[in-house]
Amino acid sequence: MSSNNAPAGPSAQRRPAGHLDVRTALRPYRGAWNAGLAAHLLRRAGFGGSPQEIGRAAAAGMDAAVDSLLRFSVTSLPDAPEGDFSFSAAMPQQRRAAVIAAQLWWLNRLLLSPNPLQEKMVYFWANHFTSAIGGGVTPAMMVQQYGLFRRYALGDYSQLTHEISKDPAMLVYLNGAQNHNGRPNENYARELMELFTMGIGNYSEEDVRQSARAFTGYTVRRLDGSAHYEARLHDDGDKTFLNRSGRFSGDDIVDIIMQQPATGRYMATKFLRAFVYDDPEPELVDAVASLFRTNYDVGTLLDTLLRSDVFYSARAYRALIKSPLDLAIGALKSVGAAAVGPAVDGALVRMGQTVMYPPNVAGWPGGSQWMSQSTLLARLNFLNGLVYYKPTGSAAASATSMDSMPKGRHAGMVSGIADPLTWIAGARIDDPGDVAEHVLRSTLQDDATPQQRSTLLGYLQTDAVGNLVALNAENIDEKVRGAAALAFAMPAYQLM
Amino acid sequence: MSSRKQFIVQSVGAFGGLMAIDSIFARAARAAGNVSVPGSSAGRSLVVINLQGGNDGLNAVVPYGDPDYYRARPTIGIPVGEVLKLDGDIGLNPKLAGLKALYDRQRVAILQGVHYPDPNLSHFRSSEIWQTAAPDRYLTTGWAGRYLDDAKLPGQDLFRGVAIGPVLPKVMVADKTDVPAIADLKGFRFGGARDEQSRADAILDGAGSKYSFDSPYLQLVQEVAHDARAASLQLPHLVSGYKPAVAYPKTPFAQGLNLISAIVNADLGTKVFYVGLGSFDTHVGQRGRQDALLEQLAGGLNAFYDDLAAHRSDDRVLCMTFSEFGRRVGENANRGTDHGTAAPMFLIGGGAKGGIYGDHPSLTDLNFGNLKWHTDFRSVYATVCERWLAVSSEAVLGASFPILNFV
Repeated sequence: MSSNNAPAGPSAQRRPAGHLDVRTALRPYRGAWNAGLAAHLLRRAGFGGSPQEIGRAAAAGMDAAVDSLLRFSVTSLPDAPEGDFSFSAAMPQQRRAAVIAAQLWWLNRLLLSPNPLQEKMVYFWANHFTSAIGGGVTPAMMVQQYGLFRRYALGDYSQLTHEISKDPAMLVYLNGAQNHNGRPNENYARELMELFTMGIGNYSEEDVRQSARAFTGYTVRRLDGSAHYEARLHDDGDKTFLNRSGRFSGDDIVDIIMQQPATGRYMATKFLRAFVYDDPEPELVDAVASLFRTNYDVGTLLDTLLRSDVFYSARAYRALIKSPLDLAIGALKSVGAAAVGPAVDGALVRMGQTVMYPPNVAGWPGGSQWMSQSTLLARLNFLNGLVYYKPTGSAAASATSMDSMPKGRHAGMVSGIADPLTWIAGARIDDPGDVAEHVLRSTLQDDATPQQRSTLLGYLQTDAVGNLVALNAENIDEKVRGAAALAFAMPAYQLM
Repeated sequence: MSSRKQFIVQSVGAFGGLMAIDSIFARAARAAGNVSVPGSSAGRSLVVINLQGGNDGLNAVVPYGDPDYYRARPTIGIPVGEVLKLDGDIGLNPKLAGLKALYDRQRVAILQGVHYPDPNLSHFRSSEIWQTAAPDRYLTTGWAGRYLDDAKLPGQDLFRGVAIGPVLPKVMVADKTDVPAIADLKGFRFGGARDEQSRADAILDGAGSKYSFDSPYLQLVQEVAHDARAASLQLPHLVSGYKPAVAYPKTPFAQGLNLISAIVNADLGTKVFYVGLGSFDTHVGQRGRQDALLEQLAGGLNAFYDDLAAHRSDDRVLCMTFSEFGRRVGENANRGTDHGTAAPMFLIGGGAKGGIYGDHPSLTDLNFGNLKWHTDFRSVYATVCERWLAVSSEAVLGASFPILNFV
């Protein structure tokens, strides 16, 4: 990093060292396939996997593993939180409960969905076409919007941009619902161009003013959160936008935006950041953009990216910092969690990512922005909570019911390492080396340094004052938990 | 990164020693630093307050004497009777009563019409411009971060700069100085640890041990982990002697100021603090939201300076507010305002010379409905650097700007 002659790239992002061969970057990967790369695929195209899921992907081979991620199956998971989560009542406690119900509904989908890539794309779209609860946006509107994102998970980005422009949560969040004939509100038009499609520098202030008029005409009914178009609220006059003139509607504006080369490049950068690595080279962006621009089909794009040479290259491996969601859901999968409880929700807040409350319309910036002393401590404390989790009588109760939450230190965690011996099933429990290998495989897919391995082994072989001890029925529970805590605390675990 | 690496090598495996060294430094700083020395910044600190989202200047510092104000703001203008009058033309939002009290004691300088050339109306880019002090370039570091890197401060201190909040803001990003972002003291620690030393060793990661993969973020994670461990072990001890002299409001902003007061009064040598308040992005229903936030701002600052005064530290802490932009002069159809340009800044306490600086920008001579600025924000930063922090502003800002006389 240099302060005065820095490249124009955003400083939160760091590009991997080494050279990109753009000619081969998007060709199908034909190198060796192993559990490490299978885990890499599951981290990027989902939220990680249990040791069993990683084993299955490793055994299936790359193409079959990608096929099964791209092919969604029907799920019985609920499309909305169960029970009443209405937000209309003036009771702050009820409003709070509604927010938590919506957050936990989605967190549980992330953990439990048989279609991890579908939920990963909901996360991608939610952090791209951002909206947040509050200011008139209700949890129910967010749940509805996430349903839209789920339908378009691998769908047509252009069509999704049309749809999101009429989405109730978006209309309220960026004031489209107040954008009326003769009284334009520029908020949505500006962010649509700056953050959702072309990026800054590809349009003028006048384009913002003119396109805001084109998007006029929508309202959102507070009663049921539905969006409505009223012709009398629409400005039907001539507009000039990006050097074209006509009596444009919002749909016309989106169509014009989709014809701009800047849109393909902007989205290519976003997909590369989410799935491959930060601050991607311009030539890689151009290659992905020309692919994506042919039809804006996300499924086709990800089919190529997830099988590509660059995706499985050493430069992409562990090249991203896990978001708190990636960290938390991934860790819960690693320990075989059955559900996500309210404690996870609170831990995510401390890690800097409040579900359904992105910090602003640009979403979570990611990259090094995730890493501060405070957020890293919150991450490590969360992982410790999973490791030292002990189920209580009511812990197995419904994950999303607020009434049946266990009390105490791990209240609401719902899951963690309930039984260390089950967690490392198959390990020879009198062999510290074998126990260490099982713990590392379940957490870090073996990405530990020789020194870290020996620290872990030393921990399993000695007591607190350094005397040699054998693993036995009395200490194995404590020792496996301690070893898991050490593995989760290794810096590599923060990377995906 | 060189000094950070050196620091890690020094302290690996030696937490006990590290704590002793830093405690000695803290005591030395306490002995030396309590009095403001003219021409030196010893003992002084700066609190940078980010009014996130674009604070509307016209309803904060109200040009109530100008009829054009009420023409532009027929529904959201502050009625004359409510304005806290500073002179015949200018007054404060009624919710800034706590700030007015400080103003009446000559502790507040109000700088009017501040912004930068070719204003950018994007929240993100404009905030980045204010935080990097670079309207014409993209910089990886913030201006306060560059100050911390270059200020030749004594010792290897973990707390040269402190940001309140979970995320490190751009203004505090430095090349050589790791600034902790601390949301609150209670959460700034390891909990539930059973094997502390082993765990710490694992986090610190064996020196000389090679990973089987390379990652552009691996070193960052290792450094933040190391510093987080050291800082979180030390900070509670270092501030344990502090007791607030007043009851701070329960708002996150005021609680952040409370933590800043604790660190100031522990004399850790911290030069720059950061705390944010928001969101001021009042496109709709501005009065309710902005008024509530201004009340938090004034209430927090009032408690903060009462507390600092009780600890005899009020003269060595200067607060400076900024926001990415002000807002459009004319209100919109939703009783709100859209993104604008020039706005006032508040400089509070420390060496601030109370008063109003610069004319209020014209409400009729506009640029696309926006106020024309007359004072470059980098002049404000330059003045703070030169007159308060006692460093060359050119090194921090990359160019020289006129020095103002509010400090």
